[in-house]
Amino acid sequence: MRRLLYIEAYKLFRQSRTFYAVLALLIIESIVLLSAYFQGTEIIDMVLSNLKDSFYFQGNLLNGNLIIYFILNSFWFHVPLLIMIIVSGMLTTEYEEKTVQTVFMQPVVKWKYVLAKYIVASLFASFLVLLLALTSFILSYGLFGKGDLIVYANGLTFFEQTDAFFRLVYAFLFGTLTLIFFSAVSLTLAVVLKETFKTWIVSALFLIVSTLLLKVDLSNEILNHIVFFKLNNTWQYFFNQEIDWGTITVNSLLIGFYTLITILVGLFLFQRKDIG
Amino acid sequence: MKRLGFILLILFSTSGFSQNAKEQMLLVKKRHESILAFQANVQVHVDVSFITMPDKEVQAVFQKGEELIVTSEDFVLIPKRGLDLSFSELFEYPYLTVDRGPAEGKAPSIIAVSILPLDNQAEFSVANLRIDTVNHRILWAEINTKEDGTYVLDLTYPDKQAVLPSKLDVSFEIDRIKIPLNFAGNDVSVDRKKTKGSGKKSGKIELLFMYKDIQKSQK
Amino acid sequence: MISCKHVNKNYATVRALHNVTISCAKGEVFGLVGANGAGKTTLFKILLGLVTADTGEIEISGEGSKKIGGIIEKPALYPFLNAHENVRLFAKMQNADSSSRAIEKSLKQVGLPLNRMDPVRNFSLGMKQRLGIAVALLNNPSCLLLDEPFSGLDPLGIEALKQLISDLVLRSQMTILISSHIIEVLSTICTKLSIIQNGEIVQSDVTSKILEGCTIGYALSGADIQKAAFLKQYKPVFRGDFAHVSASATEISDIIFSLSQQKIGITSCKPIFDLQQLFNPKRN
Repeated sequence: MRRLLYIEAYKLFRQSRTFYAVLALLIIESIVLLSAYFQGTEIIDMVLSNLKDSFYFQGNLLNGNLIIYFILNSFWFHVPLLIMIIVSGMLTTEYEEKTVQTVFMQPVVKWKYVLAKYIVASLFASFLVLLLALTSFILSYGLFGKGDLIVYANGLTFFEQTDAFFRLVYAFLFGTLTLIFFSAVSLTLAVVLKETFKTWIVSALFLIVSTLLLKVDLSNEILNHIVFFKLNNTWQYFFNQEIDWGTITVNSLLIGFYTLITILVGLFLFQRKDIG
Repeated sequence: MKRLGFILLILFSTSGFSQNAKEQMLLVKKRHESILAFQANVQVHVDVSFITMPDKEVQAVFQKGEELIVTSEDFVLIPKRGLDLSFSELFEYPYLTVDRGPAEGKAPSIIAVSILPLDNQAEFSVANLRIDTVNHRILWAEINTKEDGTYVLDLTYPDKQAVLPSKLDVSFEIDRIKIPLNFAGNDVSVDRKKTKGSGKKSGKIELLFMYKDIQKSQK
Repeated sequence: MISCKHVNKNYATVRALHNVTISCAKGEVFGLVGANGAGKTTLFKILLGLVTADTGEIEISGEGSKKIGGIIEKPALYPFLNAHENVRLFAKMQNADSSSRAIEKSLKQVGLPLNRMDPVRNFSLGMKQRLGIAVALLNNPSCLLLDEPFSGLDPLGIEALKQLISDLVLRSQMTILISSHIIEVLSTICTKLSIIQNGEIVQSDVTSKILEGCTIGYALSGADIQKAAFLKQYKPVFRGDFAHVSASATEISDIIFSLSQQKIGITSCKPIFDLQQLFNPKRN
């Protein structure tokens, strides 16, 4: 299994499209960082405008923590989309180039082969989050310094800079789980659809629908808490004054469960299907 | 005739009390104005319904005749009003003292007094005070400013000799805040019923003073 | 050796294979001849384990974890990797020796240059075929399946591949199955032939017998071929230095003997096949 993992990672990082995707994400992040800085000034001014009548402000709210928070807010569409494109390509290009036939003319176990792809895809998603988090933190703190974080969630909440740092880190960590789930979905779609463009379209559709359904009230309390598209926003719980670790833990386990189910479906379908 | 006498009796009796209140105010003024300078670590606690903020510590430096200087490494909300512990704002211009009679509170002998500035340049229209007549200091003040609304100060002193409070609560009204939607968290739902209405919210800042250095005048 | 018995495979409304039985002994080169869509590729995919037969038995003997290797249609390799990297990757995934020496040996075995480091997408079809064979030979399988290996190759490429196949059989006694629709090529390297049409094996025998059954004449070429008057009895059709004669396999040896007696030199003698006869053999 280790050999297969090495091989999948090797193939992923030997292809130029992987680096194009990473570069695209970094460019998008830079744009978000710049726009966050310019928009952030306006937003802070607007939020604090009414408080200015009653208060003086000491300290700077437009700091690295706020910029990272803005980057985190903008994270949840373009990053999963790019990940889904790259990850689905790990299988669809093998179908299109027929290298999957060459693989299975060697003594390779089917479910191990595709499981290796799932694992490497998950690691790749984690790597991307780590890269984005590191660059966000380094650039944001480097350019804008540290300071308290202001967040609006049913009122203004201020977090001290150390507290804010850890909350942001936890939010990125939780975000990794969501991205692993999306990468598993895209691979499973690749198992079903096999063709690159079809898989991209359906993956994008899945992401868009998940994002839209996030705001829909299902009129059932249990469903509102357990349906997978309602879990993608769990990172925001880290920005309540009191972190609801119970809910976060449950949501993490649920996302893990959905990811596992998605992988098992993919493994089952791939094992059953003929190659070619 | 009888009526005239009754009115004159009332006037003399109130002027007698006003004399007492005026003297009390002078003593209070003298006491508060005796503070030349101080330095303090101040713990700031924000108690506003829509703001959640951890307690902060700031450094405050006061020089008589100058504004209080507050410094902090973190972001902190400092109330605009109420930090003038010498109450120089009240006594800057000539004023009329109106005695409101005895009041209940944290000291055994308290009177309620209203101060009306006689000069239009004053920034407040009326200040309602509760004065500790034994220790000659202000315990509570409601100051109605001309342009910045009304704020209330509630002072707690560490001991009988102290002229600077160990605790100061500043209460005021704040307009509701405007939040641009793209700054709000994704899960935020806008409660339209709550956002309609007067839009004014009340708030309080609690300040705990730990003085490092106090300079008083010898008089 | 490799064999399959009574193999059937259907896809929705299409009958891909029906009651197919073939067998090939060790060291044999077996040819499967059929038109496009006859079922050759489907059968090879079943033998290679890529597709599951609906019914039937497959038997492949040999040692090691990989008994059979092959190429289906065009060799499928990772275009962004070079030859060394492709071989290393496929060797690694099946726990074969992936050292530099082993890889160089693999590449030498199929006649590929060792100093070519550009990605495989730049390779010619002939080079890709060789590299595909190198990958198929990893882990020393006892059987090698080549599906349409000569498609798209130029004559030099075909000859080079034929030589490679012959060398492999000579060196390692490997069983090789080759499918093609070009009987002329298969007839020169295969010891046995099976003819497949519409998913069924219509005839299967040693090459010489198959060819004998469908040969309707020969194309002789020689500078003075038109001077051979005796050829008239064989209904010759002359085109320049070529003569197409209607003669059987037994008669051609007499014709060649007679030509040599008349000192008429011939530069080539190629059989002419009746493909109808090949795919629809007369039942005796």
